[in-house]
Amino acid sequence: MKKLITYIVIIAIFITGGTALTGCYVSSKVANKSGAQLWGENCNRCHNAPGPGEFNNDNWDIIGTHMQIRANLTKTEVDKITEFLKSANN
Amino acid sequence: MRKLLPLIILLFLQILTYAQDASTATKTSPGSNKFVVYGNAEMSFMSNSDSKGFGEVNFKPIFLWRISPKLFVEAEAEIETGEGSVNLGLEYANMNYMVNQYLTLHAGRFLPKFGAYRGRLAEGFLNRFPSNPAGFGDGGIGASVETGFGALGALPFGSMKVLYDVYVVNGSHLLTDTANAGQFDYEAYIPNNKTMAVGGRIALVPFAKSNLEVGFSYQNKSGTGDLGTVNEKVSLSMQAVDLNYFENIKPIKSTLRITGEYRHQKVGDNAVYLKADGETQYSFANSPSAWYLSGSIRPSLVDSKFFRNLEIAYRYSNYQRPKDAPWGGSNLTSNEYALDYWLHWNSLLKIAYQVKDQEPSTFYASVVFGF
Ligand code: HEC
Repeated sequence: MKKLITYIVIIAIFITGGTALTGCYVSSKVANKSGAQLWGENCNRCHNAPGPGEFNNDNWDIIGTHMQIRANLTKTEVDKITEFLKSANN
Repeated sequence: MRKLLPLIILLFLQILTYAQDASTATKTSPGSNKFVVYGNAEMSFMSNSDSKGFGEVNFKPIFLWRISPKLFVEAEAEIETGEGSVNLGLEYANMNYMVNQYLTLHAGRFLPKFGAYRGRLAEGFLNRFPSNPAGFGDGGIGASVETGFGALGALPFGSMKVLYDVYVVNGSHLLTDTANAGQFDYEAYIPNNKTMAVGGRIALVPFAKSNLEVGFSYQNKSGTGDLGTVNEKVSLSMQAVDLNYFENIKPIKSTLRITGEYRHQKVGDNAVYLKADGETQYSFANSPSAWYLSGSIRPSLVDSKFFRNLEIAYRYSNYQRPKDAPWGGSNLTSNEYALDYWLHWNSLLKIAYQVKDQEPSTFYASVVFGF
């Protein structure tokens, strides 16, 4: 048990430290993806993706954060996706 | 524990340096609405040679607050009628602090990422079936709802992503009553002894188009029995492997989904239970496992709206129970066939037929509205 906690803490240090030092390396193919593409790919994996126009802008921000936690998405992905989803409301 | 302290301090320092960096946060605009209620409502019908009628009616509101770009609260209440009376449960109430791009810290009562079924693919409008796979529902095995704290996030590596969750929680309680000896309460609200469980999940999203997720989960607790009882030091270790895949197949104008999960748990062999006479002691080898594999096809790319909203699904499941447990016996397998009709992205009608060992074949129907 104690060993396990030690492992977990070390892994956590590795993760937080690693990302702090280098930032995560993302291939340019992934970095250049549009919000629409990220939406089609990520929001369809577990359920049918809700489309633009389904919710208002404030609600998309709330949903984005909820799904960031539920689905382990990165903030960059969520920001691009919500921006795309909001575009239908403007 | 003392050796751990410097490591934990180091971890917190690192997190603090992150917290200083607010550059990634998008501001909430003044006057924006921070609170919303979502959730789902469900009602079901079942018919077999033993019984027939409308069954469970469930109402599960989800309350979400985005207090600021970094602070987020999620809570879900469960109002269920499946057991013949109104049952009110707190499914989760979880406070989240978004430290940065890749890291969120959270505390409260939450759905641990143990496998992908419970808490995610089992939810009303994600599950294509009105029921659960053998070994995954009531009387099944594996972590369910936990109270404690954890960290989660995603790390991109090239075109791949690694998703992670780690947590420290109260963990499951060993049950010792005659009918359930060797089973667990996986949703306890309070601790029953001084030990805590540690768990986590690492998942890979290997393809750039993010259509496949494969996860490995682990949870361990060194003592699960009630404080001061002979079973206080009975350990529980659990593992799960999960898979979730989808693909739009253009030539047949359809979306294919495949999900599956294997879970296993091992209970320490120092557990001792009492027979119904209240005197005779006994114990048994207790390492059950369960798995399911499910596939569904929806012609989501055809022109006809009616056909576009249809989905057919099949699920096979297998539950290997401990032979000598009062709730154990032979392997249980279940075959389920479903026909779904989508009314909205998160609302559907499910019609299913289930052939399961030791139960009469059952026709199920249910309606789920996500809101
Ligand atoms: C890992 C699986 C998963 C992925 C990926 C996912 N969702 Fe969800 N989503 C869920 C689950 C599970 C629920 C049900 C909510 C609950 O039970 O807490 C849900 C619920 C929702 C809801 C209902 C409101 C709410 O917040 O509960 C919306 C809207 C939603 N998802 C949008 C999205 C969008 C947009 C994306 C892409 C950014 C996405 N989802 C990606 C699992 C997922």
